[in-house]
Amino acid sequence: MQQQLALQDVTIDFGDGPLLKNVNLAVAPGESVVLIGPSGLGKSVVLKLFAGLLKPTSGKVLVEGKDLHALPAHEQSALQLRMGMLFQKNALFDSLSVGENIAFPMREKTSLDETEIQRQVDFFLEAVGIAYAAALFPDEISGGMQKRLGIARALALRPQIVFYDDPTAGLDPITSRRIIELIQKLREEQNSTIVTVTNDMARAYQLADRIVMVADGELIITGGKAQTLANKDPRVSQFIRGKLDGPLTGRHA
Amino acid sequence: MKDIFVQLEFVTWQSLPVILFCVCFAAVVTIIESSFHMKLVVQNDALVPGFAALLILRELGAVVSALLLTSRVGAGLAAEVGSMKITEQIEALKMLGIDPVRFLVVPRFVACVIGGFLLSLIANLVCLYCAMLVSEAKLSYSSGAFITSMRAFVTFQDLVFACLKGACFGAVIPLVSCYFGFRCKSGAEGVGLATTNSVVVSSVLIIVLDFVLTFLFSHFY
Ligand SMILES: Nc1ncnc2c1ncn2[C@@H]1O[C@H](COP(=O)(O)OP(=O)(O)O)[C@@H](O)[C@H]1O
Ligand SMILES: [Mg+2]
Repeated sequence: MQQQLALQDVTIDFGDGPLLKNVNLAVAPGESVVLIGPSGLGKSVVLKLFAGLLKPTSGKVLVEGKDLHALPAHEQSALQLRMGMLFQKNALFDSLSVGENIAFPMREKTSLDETEIQRQVDFFLEAVGIAYAAALFPDEISGGMQKRLGIARALALRPQIVFYDDPTAGLDPITSRRIIELIQKLREEQNSTIVTVTNDMARAYQLADRIVMVADGELIITGGKAQTLANKDPRVSQFIRGKLDGPLTGRHA
Repeated sequence: MKDIFVQLEFVTWQSLPVILFCVCFAAVVTIIESSFHMKLVVQNDALVPGFAALLILRELGAVVSALLLTSRVGAGLAAEVGSMKITEQIEALKMLGIDPVRFLVVPRFVACVIGGFLLSLIANLVCLYCAMLVSEAKLSYSSGAFITSMRAFVTFQDLVFACLKGACFGAVIPLVSCYFGFRCKSGAEGVGLATTNSVVVSSVLIIVLDFVLTFLFSHFY
């Protein structure tokens, strides 16, 4: 089967020793992979590698079978437009209103006319449930609404592949659940491949076809809920149960 | 394109009050100080208008406006780009295939170059006018006498060079600010550091560049 996303022998080093060391991960079309792991060990980095925002020190990043960094700039950018990302810090354009944030990718990257763009904006605002806030600015809406807006903007170009970096961080359990349900619903509608970072284990089990733990420069690939719970790796069992003693020292957090 | 006009309004129009306020005071000080010293050294102040005009056009007008522009526009720009960097907005642009330098720096660069030119022009003229008023009031020059004395020392060329200086200083500000903004480290501290660094470095570069340009222009006199 053709893999939609893959890291092949990827090492990335920001200058103080490798953060990820010879890691491999393949994501199939339509699959939902969830990344978990202690903070600061590279979950966001994995998403940014896939998205072409970071370049590996060595190894290859494949998107739809093509080596992302061997492609000419315009082809690389064409592939990037097939991916959408909810950034950990939302990355909302704070000089644009809520509605304009969603319109921005369409204005820049499509030839849709203004009425059609407005129709699409209304559709996405409705889909993520923030239609009433269209004219507000990102700093005037709550954290949960900012996440929803980030999701809507990530989906504006109807990407085949969507990355969600910590979509429920700092949200209350009910809002978290709504956001995850929204992500699942949108995934089914668009039939997209998604990779999500979260440390909320309940949401991770709810969302994941496969769970991958990022720790010690490795990717520990487990499986669905049952396989993750049964995983023998002491780091995995320590992490998912939140125990204090074990191989994970917590010095990175 | 629309962006350039928005930026130009911000850089030029909104900076005008503070710059005019400061150059007027600079003019007053220049006239009073030079009159005081001239009287001390050569026992008369007939050369004051000429000297003051020379000082204003060659140095004061352009440099004072540029330094004020640095603290107002440069600091704001570094903070804006820095916070876009740490909230991942820059990466969001990249994912859309938008070159953040083209998108963010170019309109601000153009606005600052044009703005620097215009502000230097206005600041110099207002500063000279102010100097004339002060001379009238304090040194009892008639405006005609002031202008005659001034014309003996400076020409239209001085004003042109002052504007060119303004444009060059204007170019320094967005380049330095965006450089520090794009390299901003995360956290509010990072933004503060980017802002401070960009103001300090821009100011130093403007002073050094002033020396270089003065030297270059001196070949045309
Ligand atoms: N562009 C970058 N340049 C330098 N270091 C980076 C960069 N991106 C991430 N890092 C470093 O990589 C480490 C992992 O970051 P990250 O992937 O954000 O962790 P997390 O698992 O919490 O998402 C951090 O120590 C961070 O400082
Ligand atoms: Mg992260």
